Amino acid sequence: MKTTTGSLKGADSISKARRQVIYELISGCTGLVLALFMWGHVILVGSILTGERGFDWLATLLEDYYVAQPTVAAIFAIFIVHAVFASRKIPAQLRERRQMIELAKGLKQSGREKVPSRRDNSPFVPHLESMLWIWQVRTGMVILVIGSFHLILLGIDVFTPLFGPGPGIDSATSMGRVAAGLWLPYSILLLCVEFHAGVGLYRLAIKWGSGVLPSRHILHRIEQLIFWVVLGLGTLTLLVLAGWMSPPLEFLLSGVSP
Amino acid sequence: MTDKNNPRPRRLRFEIFRYNPEDPESKPHIETFEIDERPYMTLYMALSEIRETLDASLQFDFACRSAICGSCGMLVNGRPALGCRTLTADLPEEIRLHPLPAFKLIGDLSVDTGIWFREMAERTEAWIHEQLPFDPDAEEQRMSDDIAAAIYEGDRCIECGCCVASCGVANVNPEFLAGAGLNRIARFMMDPRDGRTDADWFEVVAGDQGVFGCVGMMACADVCPKELPLLDVYAYLRRRTLGTKIASG
Repeated sequence: MKTTTGSLKGADSISKARRQVIYELISGCTGLVLALFMWGHVILVGSILTGERGFDWLATLLEDYYVAQPTVAAIFAIFIVHAVFASRKIPAQLRERRQMIELAKGLKQSGREKVPSRRDNSPFVPHLESMLWIWQVRTGMVILVIGSFHLILLGIDVFTPLFGPGPGIDSATSMGRVAAGLWLPYSILLLCVEFHAGVGLYRLAIKWGSGVLPSRHILHRIEQLIFWVVLGLGTLTLLVLAGWMSPPLEFLLSGVSP
Repeated sequence: MTDKNNPRPRRLRFEIFRYNPEDPESKPHIETFEIDERPYMTLYMALSEIRETLDASLQFDFACRSAICGSCGMLVNGRPALGCRTLTADLPEEIRLHPLPAFKLIGDLSVDTGIWFREMAERTEAWIHEQLPFDPDAEEQRMSDDIAAAIYEGDRCIECGCCVASCGVANVNPEFLAGAGLNRIARFMMDPRDGRTDADWFEVVAGDQGVFGCVGMMACADVCPKELPLLDVYAYLRRRTLGTKIASG
């Protein structure tokens, strides 16, 4: 740990530190790509809100120009890489994880008590971000399971003619699947992904841009706003896909000839 | 706290962690003490009263009573804070006090932050590494106001250990430099009098014991009694370290 370089131990720990920087960069960059992709993804699937024609038109377009196929493969790869490198930070032992959870819970609760004579400038503001990190780990685990399933399913759908009339995504098959019961894991996945991605981006912005970007308070507000908007859009999409709601934007394409 | 609307003082109920590692008979447990709240009462005043009137064996640390010595850090209802500048008026009637985690326990609320901080100072070599041999006749080196102010800001750290105790990583990884350590490094990295280059710093700053071990829970910045801009410090270290990494290939 001495800063005197040149000794064998020094050279060793420098290469170790170098590796650790690279791991951190990989986990941050893959997280950034996945979070941005997820927003785009929700918007693209949201095309079902304009009806099945809009959805199918977009799906066929992305497949005909070979945008969808490499994207599915790349996202699957990035997804696995992110899971491997981001999970490095989770303490290995149960005892250590319990310790972290207890600490985070204490920090979240202190300052929430009702104190009759509390001053305006109370120093005890509840601290949430530690607990948010723990929830990111938990949602990450859920995403790893349901997300893998979703990616494999969609990989099969895009690359093989196993589902639907041929290779590729079509609205009838997708809606059938969601209505048949996939709405449940998909709603859990939506909630977990939007939480994980939103908090992750917020944290990434603070980690690299604190002091340069807008204040933490503003960044948190932006994160929450995007979270609720995307969650709302995703929920509407799921409702339409499950057939519980007719597409609210269908009128947009009503004048377009087939 | 007494006021017009509430003339009767509150009855404060302290639940205090008790354990003396020196005594083989002692078992960690929680002991409850009740005292009346007085106007502008701090935890320091409350604990002193408990020690004087209820239990003389209660161990806790205080020295300056004005948030500058950094010895009275403790977990107040689960949150690290300085006892001397925490008013009981800001707390509910039930006050849970624990010693700071992540440090060696001396007894009850008293911990040895010195071991941790000494090791951190040695590992970061927290002193100016002069570029040239000292020349007593030479004029002092000049420094811009901005840099001087930034260095001073970092030097306001009182080493109370609240950031370390609130850090999830520091609690499970004793090697992690945590807020106080990273703040110290940034202070010397910014100092133009220090001869160490970014490459010299690399192995201390980068890596899992340095800034890249931080997972971004941000509790350190929220509990710091001196309100140091710790998040800005970490972002600065990350960007600067990445620059070194890119420059060295």
